[in-house]
Amino acid sequence: MADQVPATSGDAPPADTPPEPAALPELDTGLRSKLESGLGDAVKVASATPGRIHIDVNSKDVVRVAEFVRDELGFDHAESVTGVDRPADSEIEVVYHLGSYTRPELGGYVMAISTRAPRQDNPDPGNDSTRLPTLREVFYSVEFHEREAFEMLGVYFDGHPDNRRLLLPEDWADLPPMRKDFAIKGR
Amino acid sequence: MSTIAPKFKFSEFVKSLIDNIFWIIVIATLVGLPLIMIALFYVDLPVIDGTLVTPFLALTWLSHPEVALPLVKSFMTSDMFRIMAFPGFGFAALMAAGTIFIERKMLAKMQLRVGPFYCGKIEGILQLMGDGLKLISKEIIIPAKADKPLFIAAPLLFVGAAAAFVALIPVAPGWVVADVDVGLLAVFAVIGFFPIITVLSAWSANSKFPFIGGIRALYQMVSFEIPLILSCLGVVILTGTLNLSEIAASQSVVPWIVFMPIGAIVFFICMLAELERIPFDLPEAESEIVAGWLTEFSGMMYGLVQLGSYVKLYAFSALFVLLFLGGWSGPEFWPPLEQELLEDGQTIGPISLQFPGLPLFSQEFFSAVIWFVLKTMGVMFFVLLPRGVFPRIRIDMLLQIGWYKLITLAFVNIFVALGLVYAGVIGPGGMF
Amino acid sequence: MRMSNIAKQIAPGLALQKVDERIMTLNVGPQHPGSGHMRIIVQIDGDKIVACDPDPGYVHRGEEKMAEYRNYIQNIPHLERPVIHDSCNILYPYCLATEEILHIEVPERAKYVRVIAAELNRCVYTLYWLAIYGIFLGHSTMFMWPTGDRELLIDLLEKMTGARVTHAYFVPGGVRNDLPANFEDVCLRQVDYFEKRIRAYADIFYDNPILISRTRDAGTLSRQDAVRLGTTGSVLRASGVDYDIRKKEPYDCYDSLDFETSVLKSGDAYARSKVPWLDMLESCRIIRDALSKMPQSGSVRVKLKPNPKGDEMTSYKRVESGRGTLGCYVVSDGKPEPYRVKMSVGSFRNLISLPYLLKGEKLGNMPAVYWSLNYWPVEADR
Repeated sequence: MADQVPATSGDAPPADTPPEPAALPELDTGLRSKLESGLGDAVKVASATPGRIHIDVNSKDVVRVAEFVRDELGFDHAESVTGVDRPADSEIEVVYHLGSYTRPELGGYVMAISTRAPRQDNPDPGNDSTRLPTLREVFYSVEFHEREAFEMLGVYFDGHPDNRRLLLPEDWADLPPMRKDFAIKGR
Repeated sequence: MSTIAPKFKFSEFVKSLIDNIFWIIVIATLVGLPLIMIALFYVDLPVIDGTLVTPFLALTWLSHPEVALPLVKSFMTSDMFRIMAFPGFGFAALMAAGTIFIERKMLAKMQLRVGPFYCGKIEGILQLMGDGLKLISKEIIIPAKADKPLFIAAPLLFVGAAAAFVALIPVAPGWVVADVDVGLLAVFAVIGFFPIITVLSAWSANSKFPFIGGIRALYQMVSFEIPLILSCLGVVILTGTLNLSEIAASQSVVPWIVFMPIGAIVFFICMLAELERIPFDLPEAESEIVAGWLTEFSGMMYGLVQLGSYVKLYAFSALFVLLFLGGWSGPEFWPPLEQELLEDGQTIGPISLQFPGLPLFSQEFFSAVIWFVLKTMGVMFFVLLPRGVFPRIRIDMLLQIGWYKLITLAFVNIFVALGLVYAGVIGPGGMF
Repeated sequence: MRMSNIAKQIAPGLALQKVDERIMTLNVGPQHPGSGHMRIIVQIDGDKIVACDPDPGYVHRGEEKMAEYRNYIQNIPHLERPVIHDSCNILYPYCLATEEILHIEVPERAKYVRVIAAELNRCVYTLYWLAIYGIFLGHSTMFMWPTGDRELLIDLLEKMTGARVTHAYFVPGGVRNDLPANFEDVCLRQVDYFEKRIRAYADIFYDNPILISRTRDAGTLSRQDAVRLGTTGSVLRASGVDYDIRKKEPYDCYDSLDFETSVLKSGDAYARSKVPWLDMLESCRIIRDALSKMPQSGSVRVKLKPNPKGDEMTSYKRVESGRGTLGCYVVSDGKPEPYRVKMSVGSFRNLISLPYLLKGEKLGNMPAVYWSLNYWPVEADR
């Protein structure tokens, strides 16, 4: 066991450099080309590995892109909606992970649509400019995930029918807790 | 070294015992004796065999068996004894306690566990007593917005109704608290109180879950009372009487379950529903409505309802035995005692023992009680059994069973009984 | 200062709604024997549920926030806390994602050990869930039997990992320690007996006429709705969608093992309660297969330097847990601590179908439908 020290470490360069990205399977390249030809400049592919594709979308285009992804590419449900606070960019990133049940060949494939909302240092959840259009009309399954993202990061989803608290206590009167400036005591 | 009381000292223990005895004597002398004297001043003392029975004389008699036994015997024939002890509430409560113990152990065996084990050395036989003590010592919490008089009265009424039910059950020939000619009707009159008590308690608790539970209990009990009464009608047609003692005595040869299995099955299912046992424990369905109409009861109020429901369980099982299983009839366990033994006493060598008043009860009575208890326990076993096998049913399915299937079956049973009577199998000139 | 302008949001259940006098609002939970650690606000009209609003969050512990303050290794013991009965599976995607970020290749033997631990843990979780399903339906024997049979597998896992429930067994780079000596024999024997035991559940539970009449056609979720609502795991497979991450996107050594996914068509509470049981039978098969194919020796762990740092990248990995697809999205910014850890849990995804399923059902069906969602409140809240 000891002879395998260390596979990786941040300080020293890794003993064996990460392998070059292998040639993507045909399914991946096909999806990517379909995406780029169908939507053009609206999407920017941030990363693509076998079985995963991560695209950046402007918040104006996100509904259009989602509809295209649902209707043309066959992704039919959202697995999660992740809010990532980016104070350095003064933005909040919201990542939708989409999967497909109806198309068997896409079963192992996850598409991540990432979009960004402006971030305010003095948040007023629901009333400030931290807003994104909701994808609930496109993917019904994002309903609870978007509610969670709203309370945890203060991203208000325009058009969401039910922007209420979900997990946080009813008397929570602090910053949205997943923002980076909400610090845990003692850490 | 005891871990329960690490600072235990035997001398301290003896001292505490002596202290207690001392204070008991002091208090009894200073308070108890004057009270007894004052009471005796007002109470008319009875005269037995021309002698005034003073307390001193009564205490003297107790140490003489030949005098005490007739006293005991005469007490056993008194109404007080019947109501409180033997065919009445005391016996029923004992049976209920036994039922709880059997239920817990049997269920535990079915579910591959041990059940009560430590309390009382032998298989946890004192567990129930421990639970009772716990319930008694718990605080009774009454909801602030409850209708207090009704809420407090409900458990007492429940136990009272169950005891009234027990009072109508004959255990052996002549051994019944209330031997009324309309015994079966009286039973149904008493059963009719239970939904009222349930709804009153549920309403008075002023809470949502008891309310739903009470309404469910009302639905369930009212809709199952009809097939319950109808299923007994066959027995009444065949025997021509409503007196429970006579119904039981009429089955000395063949129990009615042979002729009316359908009626017995309908009666049994209705019994489960009336008793709120699984699979019909909807009024107390815990995963839906917490504890149903018992939700707000705490401490001994809850304990009283539980006691009442187990007494009711005994009474229903006994009713099943009386109606369908031949009551106390059965072969005698022990031949009747010889007449000379009763008159002259037992003579062993030079010693001759003779106690007037012995035996306290006859062999027929002994045998009847044993048979009755055995049969009742058998029925109870089948009442308890579904708890380990079935999940809970739903209220709409329950009402469907009650109103469609059971009532139809009960009518089929009535026609079977009528057919038996008209065909001449039973009745004047028939087989039985 | 910033606290002052937080918007006044109306909490679920506190909103005063103008409703018909016939309609009664019940707070099922959090102090309710039929709710778990959550509240279901149910509005009933007589015995019929007209509206239902799930209100989770009573056991929200901020696992994701805590993960941002601890390094990749320190995160292991607390990230398994949401489902301590399924702690191997809930750590699995985090370990896979961390391995991708740290560029670790897991040794071959460790892959098999992981799969065995994960399948044992799935059975442990499913038995616990099944026990509670039994008691929710008033079937006390079905509560006791699985709770007792769980001990078999818990003992096995204790032999493997040293802990009964919170194993913290999976680490980035393999598993924490190797299997004890003679483990294979014990494991095979226990699993054989266990399979015999769970087959007996069919007699008392799944073939029970009252159970069937209660759960058949209760809370039926059609195939289209199951897909549209994004349900996962047993809920999805009970509705006829053949979707199992172990087949669709095999991780570790699942592609070399011989098993099948269990799919039922009807989509009602009965099917939803039966699919995990069928999964357990498949798990027994997987464990036997993995034990026979496992390399007999070799390393089970790649040693990491303290405080490993990852590349600036994201990773989203999925596994099939006892409650469905379990995803973990790890964002790394090149520091020893992850920048963001998001767990996409099956319970939370299945919860969305609860209001949909309960509407129009009888109140008596509520526990049967609710717990058939394979819902674990603690996991959903994270």
